Amino acid sequence: MPLPDYEKKSYKRTRTMHGNWYLASYRYKFNLSRTKVFLKGLAKGHILGLKCRSCNTVSFPPRLICGRCLVKPDQWVRLPETASVSTFSANYDADDKNRERPYPIVAVQQDGTDTVWVHNLTDKFDFHDVYVGMPLKAVWAEERKGIWMDIDHYEPIEDPAIELNKKEEEM
Amino acid sequence: MAKVQPAIISCGFCEHASKRSDVNMAELVNEAVEDCLKKAGSIEWKDIDCVINGNMPAFEGANMPELWMTDHMAAKNKPLLRVTTGGTTGGSVCIAGYYAVASGLYDTVLAVAFEQQSCGNTTVGLSSVALGEISIFPALGYDYDRLKRNLGAGAAIGIASYQAMNYMRRSKATEEDLARVVVQNRRNAAKNWWTHLKMPTITIDDVLDTPYISYPLRFGMVCPASDGACAMLFTTEEKAKQIADIPVYVNGVASYSNETAIVGIDCAGAGQVDPCEQLGAVKSAEIAYGQAGISFPNKEIDYAEVYSPFPNQELMWVERVGLFEENKAPEAYRNGVSAFNGELPINCSGGVNSTNAIGASAMERPAEAALQIMGKAGNQVPKTVHTALGHGWGGAINFITHVVMSDEPQRKWR
Repeated sequence: MPLPDYEKKSYKRTRTMHGNWYLASYRYKFNLSRTKVFLKGLAKGHILGLKCRSCNTVSFPPRLICGRCLVKPDQWVRLPETASVSTFSANYDADDKNRERPYPIVAVQQDGTDTVWVHNLTDKFDFHDVYVGMPLKAVWAEERKGIWMDIDHYEPIEDPAIELNKKEEEM
Repeated sequence: MAKVQPAIISCGFCEHASKRSDVNMAELVNEAVEDCLKKAGSIEWKDIDCVINGNMPAFEGANMPELWMTDHMAAKNKPLLRVTTGGTTGGSVCIAGYYAVASGLYDTVLAVAFEQQSCGNTTVGLSSVALGEISIFPALGYDYDRLKRNLGAGAAIGIASYQAMNYMRRSKATEEDLARVVVQNRRNAAKNWWTHLKMPTITIDDVLDTPYISYPLRFGMVCPASDGACAMLFTTEEKAKQIADIPVYVNGVASYSNETAIVGIDCAGAGQVDPCEQLGAVKSAEIAYGQAGISFPNKEIDYAEVYSPFPNQELMWVERVGLFEENKAPEAYRNGVSAFNGELPINCSGGVNSTNAIGASAMERPAEAALQIMGKAGNQVPKTVHTALGHGWGGAINFITHVVMSDEPQRKWR
């Protein structure tokens, strides 16, 4: 849908030569040493975070290096299954059949960590009901294989602070 | 501190459009360089000592374009440096130009930033930039449908919508507030000769009628992809006084890197829990103001250009760089403080929201701010501008550049 007052100019003086970039030919290497422990934990049903001994920040999923103090974190900690919404959005896909009900995309902060990661909510959930700071609980997949998708999705749980927040907004 | 006081004597632009098929990349750059030298008085291309250039080659698919366009940049038989830092490329090139003069190595330095996005596919370029962040997801068992769903919002607009959600919650800004920023920018752009999206009669309802792309951002709020170039000429204080009527002295520059946001490197968790907090911008603004001797930016700065491809970012940046109090920007925009004839005009060139040639965008901000001080801008504000700010944002959502300039040189006692 074009917006008003926008005129496209027509320039014709050059000839276009076509070329391609093959991104699939790139070989990116990354370090598995921390990720393996993390994935093995998921297979057992443990949510593991990596703690930096120098500044006590916990990263989930694990980081190879702590950006604050340049120390390699090496202390594994068990994390609770609860989390909260750090920020969210909704994606209106071009080839999405149902534009009326777009998917909520949620950045989740696991309780007891200082980092966020991107995950899903329950598919039936409407994104208009999501808010920043909403408490969530991890739901495990039926069969755990030691991959990221062992945590299938997150589910909203009862928020004891919701009425307090409402009162604050009214004030 | 700078050994030599650098000054800007001239800034040049080429005409921006979505597809400049009348020129190729080299000619596009040449247009901006010629425009810059034309306005520079007695300076000719032979007087330039050093050329600094930069763009984002991944976004247009042209690998190392500076190799074959030296003639078009007046760089023959001269040192040629190249700077590339993603969205802040222009800002970094501008700062590199400042460094070259401030160090005392070169007298006259030409800084050029450009981008011809119609040559390539920006989305492909963005995915290669984010390769270290997202290519590992499928290898660790993140299925393709979910990856597409969760990251398919696109690198730039996805992060902007996250920032928008957090900003709107903090400041209670509405979608109407965002649309108001767009209307102000596009109407300003209509009065400026080089901009891309010129819409002199756009209204808030027009913007709110367009469909959502990524909640809460609509199609009408999103920046275009432009072809364009920008050039700036730096020289020493003594030379600038002889050449220019009103030389613009660069008194403070700062650049600050932060952690990447939302998806960390190698799939790790990202440290920026609240994407609208932007401590990097706060910190670099502090450093730049400190160098320029500015204690009260909201009172001392007369004009500001901030890097805002999306309207919520303009509201966010003006607060983070200290021009407005926290969460007060939407109210100020409603009252017309930031308008063309307001107390503190912001983005009177039309901003990045109306013209976004990615590599050049962050340089167009300080360039346009300098032109406002000189009194030669396309959309010159009615008030007299003494001190101005040019701000840039980019990289993997984590680089910030600040350029603070004034019509008076830096105080010598500092």
